[in-house]
Amino acid sequence: MFTRFLIKPGAPQWLWVLGVLGDFLIFGGILFGLLQLVPVRFRRPLIVALTFIAGLIYSVEFFYPADPKTQMNFLTPLRIKLGEATKVVYAFALGLGTFNLIRFHGGNVIRNRAGWFYSLVFFISFFAMAGAGFWSYYCPSRAAENTYNMLFEGIVASLGATMFSTIGFYIVSAAYRAFRIRSAEATLMLLAAFIVMVGQVPVGAYITSGLPEVGPLRNLRLENLSYWILSQPNMAAQRGIWFGIEVGALAMALRQWLSLERGSFFEREL
Amino acid sequence: MDHATWPTGTLVVLLSILILYKIFSARLGKSLFIRRIPGLNAIDEAVGRATEMGRPMVFVPGIGGLSLPTLQALSILKYITGIAAKYRTRIIVPTIDSVVYTVAEEIMKDAYAAHGTPEQFNPDDIRYLSDDQFAFASGVVGILNREKAASNFMFGYFAAEALILAETGHQVGAIQIAGTPSVLQIPFFITAADYTIIGDEFYAASAYLSREPTLLGSLVGQDYAKALLILIILAGIITVSLPPMHFHGWLSFLNHLPDWVKWFQ
Repeated sequence: MFTRFLIKPGAPQWLWVLGVLGDFLIFGGILFGLLQLVPVRFRRPLIVALTFIAGLIYSVEFFYPADPKTQMNFLTPLRIKLGEATKVVYAFALGLGTFNLIRFHGGNVIRNRAGWFYSLVFFISFFAMAGAGFWSYYCPSRAAENTYNMLFEGIVASLGATMFSTIGFYIVSAAYRAFRIRSAEATLMLLAAFIVMVGQVPVGAYITSGLPEVGPLRNLRLENLSYWILSQPNMAAQRGIWFGIEVGALAMALRQWLSLERGSFFEREL
Repeated sequence: MDHATWPTGTLVVLLSILILYKIFSARLGKSLFIRRIPGLNAIDEAVGRATEMGRPMVFVPGIGGLSLPTLQALSILKYITGIAAKYRTRIIVPTIDSVVYTVAEEIMKDAYAAHGTPEQFNPDDIRYLSDDQFAFASGVVGILNREKAASNFMFGYFAAEALILAETGHQVGAIQIAGTPSVLQIPFFITAADYTIIGDEFYAASAYLSREPTLLGSLVGQDYAKALLILIILAGIITVSLPPMHFHGWLSFLNHLPDWVKWFQ
């Protein structure tokens, strides 16, 4: 806030970063101090009121008709600003998360716990990736970009893809266990899964290619059966589950907004 | 974000009124019946098993931020931590989100203190692993394998990593209870976990476990809301299935039924 008045446009980036941090320290400090001044018995009503007002802003913004041209109403700019403020809170929490990582892995290395070597790998990876990121951002060069790409594309993205690809193996093992169960439900699931899977591949269409493409018998072609299972019973079940989930989410949102959900998270009152 | 159309707004307000009515009537002392949910009953069994085996439990609160599914997961975490405190069983909570990490840490600290065992709280058991989906998944897989978890709870929002976590939990021999509002992951959990909480049962968990009147009322209100939705669906089916008809006399209001149904679409 004050940063805009104190720092001129075009000032070095580090000065802006310092300014923004200073803003948060000053305003955060004032807010924290004011909260501490509030008597304990008023803290809960204060939090309840703030929660209600925040929820009300989002609710009114959602229900109040929007301008058809801009798709915005009078509260939309405030809602966007609130979203940005939430991101700042998240940024601070990220610092706490990083602190947790460093404390945990640092403890492993210092106390020589089992697997301390992996904690050392964490520190090397952490500082290498952070260093490459800062280097390519603040001193852009071919070498910096290559280093960053090698670490990110070559290692991080590849490891993510490797992890993702293991799902294929897990699907097989999970499906084997599910189909091995000898019950009516498992048999029905096996049959449905067989039709859906075979109906999706060319060989499935080939198996029942002898059946006519028009008339009642076309419904028995595997690709049509597969489509029917996916689009009718499967879709109906999914939508049924969705209805339940959304109504449950609405109920929980109401409880949170009106602060009715006491004791679900903390035993002690503020 | 989209804005509500008039029919959406009306429906949401109607459903909200139904839910709030049941919440407040429950708070006034009306007794309510809720059905048995096996997955939630099994939580005590899973904690007991971990206690008997002397091995830790793992609680994964999903890969979402501090959203409704995660809040629901955290309320279940509070309940499980309470039992873990009672039986002095260790519980490890890996998180993908730094805000969830901080809230989970406070919840656990509070739960241990409430059960008179604040010394049991170990800050190293709540771990922020990574904000990357598969880095987080590999971290949890590592914890499940290294710690030989006896019980694995997976509650919250999950995506592609759901099966990786559930299958690893199965491989280490953990009893697994899972619940997610993510419809695409429910089949994976049904296949790989021992107990799965499906659909609205997920949001019923805190009510079921705490038996708190407000939450129970909310649960019954949800059922009323679903009954209303079923009525709207039935009206829709009837109006699109029947041939055009014209009613006279006191039944003439039925002539407008198709228009009402269209209004909700």
